[in-house]
Amino acid sequence: MAMELEYDRSLYGIEHKAGPFEISNETIDRANSSTGEAGAAFLSDEGAIAAGYKGRIAPPTLCCILVRQVALPDVKVKFGKTSMHAGQRVEPKAPVYAGDQLTASSHLKDVYAKTGRSGTMVFVVWETTFSNQNGEVVAEVQESFARRE
Amino acid sequence: MPYYDEVELGDEIGPVEKVATDDEVSNFCDVWGTPGPNRFTDAETAAKSGMKGGPIVPGIMTMAMMAQLLTDWGGPGSIKDLDLVFRQPVPHNRALTLAATITDLREEDGESLVECDILMTGTEGERYVGGKAIVTLQSH
Repeated sequence: MAMELEYDRSLYGIEHKAGPFEISNETIDRANSSTGEAGAAFLSDEGAIAAGYKGRIAPPTLCCILVRQVALPDVKVKFGKTSMHAGQRVEPKAPVYAGDQLTASSHLKDVYAKTGRSGTMVFVVWETTFSNQNGEVVAEVQESFARRE
Repeated sequence: MPYYDEVELGDEIGPVEKVATDDEVSNFCDVWGTPGPNRFTDAETAAKSGMKGGPIVPGIMTMAMMAQLLTDWGGPGSIKDLDLVFRQPVPHNRALTLAATITDLREEDGESLVECDILMTGTEGERYVGGKAIVTLQSH
């Protein structure tokens, strides 16, 4: 029988907005230096233009770094005591250029239980859409947090 | 960068070896908006959070490393989808091996797509981070 989960279902359908995030050259430099990124298109206009872009682009996981800055409410799951970051998904949709201004919109996607060898865990999944200053979607990010018994 | 018609099922991307040093993790946390001390940067806080092996590498930082494996191979805009599960805490200052194996090749909506399983392992066979990725390559 499926487990009856207790949490704040009223959060479904609510969008939590954040930004704008200015993607400056410095933002990209700092992201690159913290992850050892050395791809030419992420380092300079010249490298990006050689790869077919109109200018320097941000690495594909930049939006995964920014997503932490969206203030998300407590889902109030009545299960377990500790929460851990269980997984992350990114689907880049369009290049993020140096100089872009991104906004984020997050919503609760799913809350579900899963039972495996190590017991039951409850997963809370948030989905965030990042758009640029032209309204173009540049990335979809999913974050999954697990609560353990 | 390989062309779509040059790759085959079962081909491996990598392996490459990386290390996340204390300084790199600290720098990443500053950029990420979670400056220390916390379980990523401080041994005492990590121990209180149940991390027996010291401070850990943030999942998002391991994701950036996995993405580099793919973009170094397929090009800067090649990732269509990267979906990872953080299976175990990843320690600082230890050799991490990143590799992917091609599991499917298909042409869809005018794009040549390469699907792969991707994995980050430790020197003792630890399976730290795993998942799936879809990369687009150019055709001849």
